[in-house]
Amino acid sequence: MTFAPPFRRFALAFGTAFGPMYLLARVKGLALFTVYPSLGILLPGMHRSRDTVDPVLDFLAPEMFWYGWTATAALGALAIGLIAALAPACWSRYFWSGWVWVAPLLAMMACVYLTIPWFRQ
Amino acid sequence: MTTALLILHGLVAVALLGAITHQVLAVWAPSGAGPRSVFDRFRAVQPAGFATAIVVLYAAAAVLGAIVYLFFKIDIQPDFERDRHWHALGFFDLKEDFVSIGLGLLPAYWISWRRPFADGRGHTTVALTTVLGFIVWWSFLVGHVVNDMKGFGS
Repeated sequence: MTFAPPFRRFALAFGTAFGPMYLLARVKGLALFTVYPSLGILLPGMHRSRDTVDPVLDFLAPEMFWYGWTATAALGALAIGLIAALAPACWSRYFWSGWVWVAPLLAMMACVYLTIPWFRQ
Repeated sequence: MTTALLILHGLVAVALLGAITHQVLAVWAPSGAGPRSVFDRFRAVQPAGFATAIVVLYAAAAVLGAIVYLFFKIDIQPDFERDRHWHALGFFDLKEDFVSIGLGLLPAYWISWRRPFADGRGHTTVALTTVLGFIVWWSFLVGHVVNDMKGFGS
């Protein structure tokens, strides 16, 4: 099975952009939505329980951002992938295909850095 | 229901772990002609044949994990916080991050196994496979340990 060059460019750009986009969403708090599993509700954007209820009560309605961060990253990477797919083919020769694994690896390292507070408690 | 989903998640993860380990070993240490030992036979596979199965299993494990995670947040995490298992929560946080980043790699990974990117000798394919292999092993070990800490049915 072979793939049209635009689809290959899309996959390469999507894979390269997803990791940094996820990192950006995580650092800047850009969750597309927030999930409250104990309440069974989903709110658009990023909301913290402690902003609306007393912090000592926020365990009653723990919020989850991971789904929203992933959705934000997917949306951002999708946009970049589409731009790459529609761009002139000759542009891709200036793009090193190794970025598709280097960029996610760097994003993973940055996530390790962001997780350090857990290990300092 | 949650326990059944968790077991299913674990079974899919085991299948994924086997497939990706076959593939990673096959690309890093391809077996020569006439495999003799179990290790030789383990890596004497056609790695490209695993790519589609790995994509499907990874996506299935991620979806099942995303469902089970809802119950983890409500029922398990408060106990971990009360018992001050901060390291476990930190490792689990990383698992979430790595799994998401791995999801984003799947299209490029799959296409690279169909026709390697123009980088000479398929280095990108090997690197993508290795990164995915690391994510799968990390996620499996952390998930397994976190599950063991709480204990089945407790």
